[in-house]
Amino acid sequence: MAEQATIQEVSDAMYKMIKDSMGQKKWKATDLTKAVEQLFGERCDKALIKSAIRDLIESGKCVYTYFGGSFIEIPHKEGAEN
Amino acid sequence: MADKKRSTPKLDELEKGEWPSFVKEIKIAAEKNPMANDLLGQLERSYEEKIGHWKHGGIVGVLGYGGGVIGRYSDLPEEFPNVSHFHTLRINQPAGWFYTSDALRKLCDIWEKHGSGLTNMHGSTGDLVFLGTRTEELEPVFRELTELGFDLGGSGSDVRTPSCCCGMARCEWACYDTMALTYFLTMHYQDELHRPAFPYKWKFKMSGCPNDCVAAVARADMSIIGTWRDDIQMNDSAVTEYAKSGTDIQKDVVGNCPAKCMEWDGKKLKIDNRACVKCMHCINAMPKALAPGKDRGACILIGSKAPIVEGALLSSVLIPFIKFVPPYKELTDLVEKIHEVWSENGKNRERVGEFIQRVGMGNFLEAIGVEPIPEMVAHPRENPYVFYEEYFEEESEDDKNA
Amino acid sequence: MPEVQPKPKRKTDIGPPHYENFLPPIIKENYGKWKYHEILRPGVMVTVSETDARLYTVRAASPRLLSIDKIRAYADLADKYCRGYLRFTSRNNVEFLLTDESRIDPLIKDLQALGHPVGGMGNSISSIVHTQGWVHCHSAATDASGVVKSVMDELIEYFTEMKLPAKLRIALACCLNMCGAVHCSDIAILGIHRRPPKVDRSKIKVMCEIPSVVSACPTAAVKPATIDGVPSVEVIEERCMFCANCYTVCPAMKLNDALNDGISIWVGGKVSNARSEPMFSKLAIPFLPNNPPRWPEVTSAVLNLVEVWAKNARKYERMGEWINRIGWPRFFEMTGIPFEKVHIDDFKHAGLTFKRSAHLTY
Repeated sequence: MAEQATIQEVSDAMYKMIKDSMGQKKWKATDLTKAVEQLFGERCDKALIKSAIRDLIESGKCVYTYFGGSFIEIPHKEGAEN
Repeated sequence: MADKKRSTPKLDELEKGEWPSFVKEIKIAAEKNPMANDLLGQLERSYEEKIGHWKHGGIVGVLGYGGGVIGRYSDLPEEFPNVSHFHTLRINQPAGWFYTSDALRKLCDIWEKHGSGLTNMHGSTGDLVFLGTRTEELEPVFRELTELGFDLGGSGSDVRTPSCCCGMARCEWACYDTMALTYFLTMHYQDELHRPAFPYKWKFKMSGCPNDCVAAVARADMSIIGTWRDDIQMNDSAVTEYAKSGTDIQKDVVGNCPAKCMEWDGKKLKIDNRACVKCMHCINAMPKALAPGKDRGACILIGSKAPIVEGALLSSVLIPFIKFVPPYKELTDLVEKIHEVWSENGKNRERVGEFIQRVGMGNFLEAIGVEPIPEMVAHPRENPYVFYEEYFEEESEDDKNA
Repeated sequence: MPEVQPKPKRKTDIGPPHYENFLPPIIKENYGKWKYHEILRPGVMVTVSETDARLYTVRAASPRLLSIDKIRAYADLADKYCRGYLRFTSRNNVEFLLTDESRIDPLIKDLQALGHPVGGMGNSISSIVHTQGWVHCHSAATDASGVVKSVMDELIEYFTEMKLPAKLRIALACCLNMCGAVHCSDIAILGIHRRPPKVDRSKIKVMCEIPSVVSACPTAAVKPATIDGVPSVEVIEERCMFCANCYTVCPAMKLNDALNDGISIWVGGKVSNARSEPMFSKLAIPFLPNNPPRWPEVTSAVLNLVEVWAKNARKYERMGEWINRIGWPRFFEMTGIPFEKVHIDDFKHAGLTFKRSAHLTY
């Protein structure tokens, strides 16, 4: 069995995915989950991924957004506020 | 003090008449609150122009949560600067919407300090709604709410705030403890309620009997409707009383029975309980004489929703009868299985009802490990386009010789 | 060095307060032990327990949109009459819970003085469940509170008295998203947009992410397009069903259209299982204009539906049950509503809604 990834590793990987596709794709929690499952394979499970998402949000690096469905994004200025 | 008093000739018309006036409510708030005053101004503009003037925000919230705050901005911020931000907070109501005057006053005090002073008692899903505040007020409101023992409700792709009828608190027809189950589910799914992790929203609604006072069958992804399995409880002398005091038992009660399972000979009411479909009509008509049976529980239905995206759906039977015993493990195991399958395979903005339509109820049942039974359908399929999964093959020569 | 006060720990995930904190003693004592209830007069009900404890409920109308001043007034009434206990109903009424029958009349008097009529029980019209409308919603095709107020002013006698054949449930949603889930109501008042979003090309580039706008559309009606060298979107108009999802994502896709937005009326839905199974509401009137502040076309249309039903339905017969008995041709004839092309469904499985028998009345 491969050694479990750390929460930090997983949340960093998620952050990178979100950052790299900013303006092109919005990520849902379910999409992020599937993507890191692919990336880390046996080294992560659902509970770990959940903790990593929580870390991502509670650290303030990302926020939940709602645009006809909920997404996880890097905080940005609200379009509607303009 | 609020800004100048606004001229609102159109809205003033809605202060007239006997029904309680929302315009009066906004005006009362506007005397002290500049946000409410600008709301009045912008609303009058909408009444003149016949269009709304709000923009949707998607980012604001409290730290760590993805639900509970609806971002809203005026599209006329120069004219109505005090509603340039006008966000809503959804506050998880106590089950059954019971309050004490003390709790309500404390909630009002928080909202007087931090928002427009306007509320909805309650929003459609069931939350207590604080209507309108600025982004920088969200955290302070949240802190004071949690100090008072209240928390935010759901919004977005999460478990929405569960709600229920008043159940056993004030209704003799409650076939299970709707408020206890609602409280339990709300607490059990706190994480899923605050941190959206699903393809789209998920609603639980709990009705204590088939009268369904919270419209569970029409708007909940999981509709939990109380019912019973044994005989309707009957008090013969009370039936006679109804007959004496003018109830036409043959016409109004027996004649309206959808199962045609009742007979009235002018003296005695007979019910073929095996044929009764638990519709509640006769019980509704004679509450002093009839009552649901003693073997009570609930029917679990799945998948209802309003039209967007693929059309409206009513919930359909998943588990015909279940007895609820805390800690409700049978129920939470089932819900967990459904959430897993739906999260894994659901598309963005696909409610579970639409997901079932897309993959097929049979496949869905198989995935969640529930046996198909005739109670789940109005009738078996009419079309012959069956995707047979099992068939025979010619035995190969090797098999024959073996 | 001054001691730094540790920041109080941020509380999260505490959920709502436990409901038991808010139940009056009579309810705690008789929880799950109620025997029967009886509506004593409009808006007043007694619930009697196995031990003969008697709880009196007084139900009053509310506009749902309440100022904190009004909530405080409710709290004062609860203190005066019910030891501080009160509740709200699934249809936004307020209910006071009394143990002393002699206090009912003074409470009703106080409620009426406050402008809140008592009623909404039994065979009546209870409060209209509704959405936010122009008060707070970005996608509203009509106002909600103003229409509700106008309609209920017209129908008030059916709230304060119990003279209808059965219950009548009215609901209003200000667009197709139906936050109020109005689609199973005896009468549903539904705000409708009729024109696709108008793309504001000067703003879309700065306000919105083009890929998000495109992916927001559930029917793939929004496509990326470069117009005059500037990235934008185009809308395939015949695919748009006016959900405003694109406008949710992008304020430069305004759907509101003063000329074409309006109201449609749907009838015959129900959620209760009593007698007949739950059913959807069906289209009665495809379009009525937005005519604020009083929406006279809508109020007279609703009043007509209520009165024709009330006059002709049998006891206990809900709107949909009445229509099912008399048939739709007679419904249109009796209400004087013209039947048009749009009444015939053309979405998925529309054929199931066609008349597929010779069961007709002449």
